[in-house]
Amino acid sequence: MRDFRIIFITRIRIIAKSILSMHALELLSFVFVIGCFLFGSYYVFFRIFKYLMTVEAIGFALMDRIIEMAFFIFFTMLLFSNVITSFSTFYNNKEVDFLFSLPIQPTSIYLGKLFENCIYASWATMVLALPLITAYGITTHAPVFYYPMSIVSILIYLIIPGTVASLLVFAIFRLSPKLSSRDVIILSVLLIIGLTYLYVKTNNPALLKVFETDNEQELLRFATNLTTVGGTYVPSTWLSNILKGLSGRANLGFFYFALLLFISLSMTIIAFFAAKVLYAKSWILINEHGTKRKQRKSLLHTYKYNQSQTLFFKDLLVFIREPIQWIQLSVFIILLVVYIISLKRTPLYFTFPLWRTIVSFLNFTFVTFVLATLGVRFIFPGMSLERAGIWFICSSSLSLSKVMKIKYCTNVIIAVVILESLLILSNLFIKTDPQMYVLMPVIALFIAASLVSINLGLGARFPQFDETNPSRIAAGSGGIVAALASIGYVGISIIILATPAYHYIISKYYSRPVNHLMILIPLIVFLVLNTITIVFPLRMGLKSLEQRDF
Amino acid sequence: MKTLVIKELRKHFGKTWALKNLNIELDPGEIFVLLGPNGAGKTTTLKLIAGLFHPTHGDIYIKGINLAEEPLKAKRLTGYIPDEPFIYNKLTGREFINFIAGIYDINKDQYESRMDALLGKLDIGKWIDDFSETYSHGMKQKVIMCQLFLHNPDLILIDEPLVGLDPKSSKSVREIFLELKAQGKTLFICTHTLSFAKEIASKIGIINKGELKFIGALSELSEISGKKDIEQIYLKLSEEPLPEQKV
Repeated sequence: MRDFRIIFITRIRIIAKSILSMHALELLSFVFVIGCFLFGSYYVFFRIFKYLMTVEAIGFALMDRIIEMAFFIFFTMLLFSNVITSFSTFYNNKEVDFLFSLPIQPTSIYLGKLFENCIYASWATMVLALPLITAYGITTHAPVFYYPMSIVSILIYLIIPGTVASLLVFAIFRLSPKLSSRDVIILSVLLIIGLTYLYVKTNNPALLKVFETDNEQELLRFATNLTTVGGTYVPSTWLSNILKGLSGRANLGFFYFALLLFISLSMTIIAFFAAKVLYAKSWILINEHGTKRKQRKSLLHTYKYNQSQTLFFKDLLVFIREPIQWIQLSVFIILLVVYIISLKRTPLYFTFPLWRTIVSFLNFTFVTFVLATLGVRFIFPGMSLERAGIWFICSSSLSLSKVMKIKYCTNVIIAVVILESLLILSNLFIKTDPQMYVLMPVIALFIAASLVSINLGLGARFPQFDETNPSRIAAGSGGIVAALASIGYVGISIIILATPAYHYIISKYYSRPVNHLMILIPLIVFLVLNTITIVFPLRMGLKSLEQRDF
Repeated sequence: MKTLVIKELRKHFGKTWALKNLNIELDPGEIFVLLGPNGAGKTTTLKLIAGLFHPTHGDIYIKGINLAEEPLKAKRLTGYIPDEPFIYNKLTGREFINFIAGIYDINKDQYESRMDALLGKLDIGKWIDDFSETYSHGMKQKVIMCQLFLHNPDLILIDEPLVGLDPKSSKSVREIFLELKAQGKTLFICTHTLSFAKEIASKIGIINKGELKFIGALSELSEISGKKDIEQIYLKLSEEPLPEQKV
C-alpha cells in the first residue's frame, strides 16, 4: 500500500502542477467556460424538470426516466471509454515501463493506473452529471445532504466501469497474448456491445420497442412503469434509486447506496486480485510479442504525391492504423445508422406539415450536435497527434499555415459528407417540407465549416504533444473547452435559426404575410457569426503554434 | 558565402537565460562540433537554427537568408536530426521517407537513385517495411538521417548523432559525414562523444551555462589550454574560463 500511496500522491502532484502551471488568464477562461456550461446545462435541466413536475400523473415518472436513462447511457459510454483508454494507461505507456523496472508490487501500479484511467475516462461524464443531479435536487426540494451524498455516490459509481474494463482487457490479453492491441480493443468493444444488447433485449425489451396505444389508462400504466430502463441489476438503476431516496421520494435510498458501495468495493477487490495474477504477466507478454508486420502496399509506399497529398495520406494512414480512432468512429457510425433506421421504421404520427417541419428542425439540431461531438473527438486531437513529429514539420519548408489549411480542408470535406448524408437521409424519412429539405443542407455547410475551425483551432491552441491517446487528448482541459465552444456555437446557431424557421412556418401554414425582415436579419446574424467562428479559431490556433517553442 | 552566421543570439525561458550572446560563423565544407555538459545550451542552439525555437534576441543567417524574415526559404537549406528521433508509430520507415520526400517536394527522378543509395549505405533495407513502432533508437536515427540525402541541404544540424548506433553504424555515419563535408556541406553537430569530435571536427565550440567558452580548431584549443588530451581540455573549459578566451 505504501507503493500505491507514493504513485497516487505523485499522480495528484502532477495533476496539480499541470493546473497550477496554466497561465492565470488561461485558467480563468477555462473556469469561465466550464462555469458557463455547468450553469447553462443546469438551467436547461431545471426548466425541463420544472415543466415535467407540472405534468399530471406521468411527470415524475418521466423525470425519473430521464435520470435513469442518462445514467444508463453514461454507464455504457464509461465502459467504452474505459476500455479504449485502458490499453494506453495500463500497457502502452513509458511510465508503466519505468514503474515495472522498480521494486514495486504490480498491484500498486495497477491501483495507481486504475485511478488515472477512471479520471481520464470519466471526468467529462462528471461535468455532465453535476448539473443534472443539481437540477433534480432543486426541483424536488431535496435536503442539503442530498448534494454531497449524490456526488459521493457518482464517484463510487465511476469505479465499476473502470474495474470492469480493466478486467476485460487483462483477461483477453492473458487468454490470447498473441493478439495485437487492436484486436484486444475490438474484442472488448464488441463484447460490451453484445452484452449490453443482450442484457437490454432480455431484461427490458420495452426499451427497444416503440410504444403505440390509443388508451389513456394504458399510457399511464406504461409511463409509471418506465422507471427501470436498465433493469434491476444495472448500477445506473441503483444510482437513480439513490438519488430518489436522497431527495426523499423513495425509501430504499440507503439500501441502494450500500449495494453500490458493496459492488464497487467488491469489483475493486476482484480487480486487485486479478491484477496480482494477470497484470505483470500480460504486460511482459505484450512486450515480448512485438508487432513485426511488413507493410508492402500502401498509399505512401511509393513516392508520387505533392506536399498536400502527402500530408493528407500520412494523416489518413495514421488514422486507419490506430485502432482507438476507427473503433470509436465505427461505434459513432453504428449509433447514427441505428438512428437513421429507427427514423425510417418509426411510424410518423405527425402528418400535419407544420409538425413535420418542427420535427425536422429538431432532427437538424440533433444532427449538428452529433457533428459537434465528432469534431471534439476526431478533429480536436489532429494537431496534437503530430506529437514529437512536429519537429520535422517545423524544421521543414512546409509552413504551419499550410499544414492548418490542408487539415482544415480535408476535415471540412469529411464533416460535410457526414453531416449532409445524415441530414438528407433523415429528412427523407421524416418527409420534411421541400423548402427546408433544400435549405438545411446549405446551412449545414456553414455549421460544418465552423465546427471544424473551432476544433482544429482550439486543438492547435491547446495541444498535447506528449499524449499518444487521442481519446485522452479530447478528454483533456483543451478538449473540454473545445466541446463547450462547439456546443455553445451550435446552441447559439439553433437559437438564431429558430426565428426565421418560426416565421417561415407561420407564414406558410397559417397563411400569414411573410415577415421578410424577421427571416433576413437572423440569417445575416448567422452569417456574421459563422464568419467569426470560421476565421477566428483558426487564426488563434495558428498564431499560438507559430509563437511556440518546440 | 558563409553557410551559417549567428549574431548575438540570446534565448531565455522564463527567468533563465539558456543562451547568452552567441556568435558563430561557419563556411561551406566545415564540420563544427559543439561540446558542453548537460543543460549547457547545445540543443537550444540547434533548435534555434532549425527554427523550432524563437530567439529572444539576435539573428541567424543561413546562406545569407535571415531565418526570422524568410523562414521557409532558410529551412529549405537546412536538415535537422533531433536527439530523440521520432517517426509516426503507424508508418513504416519507407512510408516516413516518402513522407519526407513529399514534404520537401523532391525531384522524382533523383529520388529513385538516392533511395537505392540510402538503402545500401545505411543498411536499412531489411526492416524498412516494418512499422516504426518496432524500431530501436538506432533504427529510427538511421531512417531520419535519410532526409539529409533526400533533400540535399547545405546546412545539416545533428543532435547527438551516435546515440543508439551500433559500432558498424557509427563508422558508417562518420564516413557519411566526411562524405558530406567533401561535397561542401556544412555540419553543425552537438555531442558528448569527445573522441567523435576529435576525429571528425574541423572546428570545435565549447559551451557552458549558455556561454560559448571557445570556438576554433582543435590545435588552437590545445595551444590555449596547454593540454593535449581533448577530455582534459573539455573538462577545464567547461568548468572555468580561460584567460585568453577567443570569444
